[in-house]
Amino acid sequence: MNTAMLSPEVLKEARRRERRVAWQQTRVAWLFIAPAVIMVALFLLLPVVFNVILSFTKWQKFTGLDQFAGFNNYARLFRLPYFGEAMGNTAIWVVGAIIFPLAVGLGLALLLRNIPFQETFKSLFFLPRVMAPTAVGAIWYYVYAPRGVLNSVVSGATGQPFDYGWLFSPDSITGAVIVTFVWQTLGITMVLLLLGLAAIPKDPIEAARVDGATPGQIFRHIVWPLLLPTVLVVTILNVAAGFTTFDLLWVMASSYPAKRTLSLAVYMYYESFSNGAWAYGSAIAVVLGSMVISVSALLAIVQSRVSKNIR
Amino acid sequence: MAVDITNRQFIAQLIEKERREHRSGGRWVIVPIVAMTIAYLTPLYYLFVTIFKTSQEYARKGVLELPDSLAPIVDNVVQAWTIANMGQASLNSFSYAVIGAAIAVGIAAAAAYGMTRLNLIGANGWFMLIFTGTLFPFQMYLVPLLFGYQRVGIINSWGGMLLVYVALCIPFPLLVLRNAFSGITREVDEAARIEGASEWRVFTSMILPNATGPLIALYLLQFTFIWNDLLFSSILANGIDVRSIMVALQSLQGTYSTLGPNVVITATLISSIPTVLLFVALRKYFMAGLQLGSK
Repeated sequence: MNTAMLSPEVLKEARRRERRVAWQQTRVAWLFIAPAVIMVALFLLLPVVFNVILSFTKWQKFTGLDQFAGFNNYARLFRLPYFGEAMGNTAIWVVGAIIFPLAVGLGLALLLRNIPFQETFKSLFFLPRVMAPTAVGAIWYYVYAPRGVLNSVVSGATGQPFDYGWLFSPDSITGAVIVTFVWQTLGITMVLLLLGLAAIPKDPIEAARVDGATPGQIFRHIVWPLLLPTVLVVTILNVAAGFTTFDLLWVMASSYPAKRTLSLAVYMYYESFSNGAWAYGSAIAVVLGSMVISVSALLAIVQSRVSKNIR
Repeated sequence: MAVDITNRQFIAQLIEKERREHRSGGRWVIVPIVAMTIAYLTPLYYLFVTIFKTSQEYARKGVLELPDSLAPIVDNVVQAWTIANMGQASLNSFSYAVIGAAIAVGIAAAAAYGMTRLNLIGANGWFMLIFTGTLFPFQMYLVPLLFGYQRVGIINSWGGMLLVYVALCIPFPLLVLRNAFSGITREVDEAARIEGASEWRVFTSMILPNATGPLIALYLLQFTFIWNDLLFSSILANGIDVRSIMVALQSLQGTYSTLGPNVVITATLISSIPTVLLFVALRKYFMAGLQLGSK
């Protein structure tokens, strides 16, 4: 190799050629990613931007888009009592969606861990998950009806007639729908936890048992810390569902007069599409969106910290 | 304590003790499992006795009692089918789900290929852009989509509905396939490229066949999502000729419904058949798909 080949001109030429090839490949790659980018930008990202802008207008079904309202829609949120109630119920939903599927799912996963026919049980508990929330909601609407399944079981057990309208009273409706939600999510939660449990090494558990640790101690000090990343993944999934569940609530609350207060997701739908208050509905969506994103982001950070600590 | 591992009797005792512990645990464990399974299956049991009852029978009997005969199901299906126009609605949803899921997974696979196998300048940026599509709750899309659809004139149209489903079903498969494709060794496609294969050729005959598992799982997942959707279809497609099966089902149910629970429950069963059948037939892929959702 002689030095003339490495003169500045040659090097520059080589670099230019390299860049040209890179651009050529990038152009081919663009063709591959373009459909995805265009579809997502047009149908998902543009609407989000537009939603935020809308929330600052006075837009309604029959008025124009041209009048800006500043923060009026947001101020109105706090003036009306519905928002506070919907917020409160959303908080109950989020907490319920975190705790119940996890507690019941973990209990069930621990029970199912070493038994025969595990696959059969898994499939049975999984089945409701493939049914549509709309269908599940319609079935459970009659489970909770005054002459429904739950009341007939209660009156069969107590020997007295019982016809409580679970879905007609503000005291019970949120709890009742959460139970249905748990019925539908338990299967997937349990399957994920079973996977997490299966990944825990047997040696430390065996060693602790030989040393005389009780099952409770083993669970608290060995199983739980190693299972924590899985638990957090499940929590992230269920928190988002708790914030945004719509179909189930909408279908099961079809006879409940104050349904707009049942959650922010329902309130948003009700104001936008039953009342035609589009700008106001957009403001509710923005509030809901910022809460979902910040809580999920926080949990994702915790989750990545925990997984790192374990490795 | 020193253990003489050649002492057979000692070893046999140990094994026996271990076995006894396992067995007694196993026997106890079955009680709560069976109790929970029964409680869990009660709503489904209710479904199966209700679809065989007439309205009068439903009103007369206890809700969990067995039906007199199996015959009333025919009438229940006919009623649900005709009143809610379920034939048209299932055809609509089926076409949205079959076609929409296929296009979406295809587009996502192409994008994942572009991001992982080609030298794409700014690949991470493009990925983040699409990934952002999974962050926002659906509620933030609704009003603008309704507005846009009305402006462009694709509200209440089959094509408009399909487009939004395709867009919704791209980000998540892209996320999964990007990981799946990164796991396929580079030598496969480098060799093909040296032989002179085009990128499209490499993509369709080298990469896709190596990822059939995730592709099937993702397709099932997106099919189920589209089939089960109520939120988007209730806003963007209410017309009887384009509305989805879930909108049809919902129209039967609730305060204004004069139909007996036997008809509504039959309709819920009809609307669940495709996804449940898919689940039973392709359980392995289904479970894999739903577990993908957690990664």
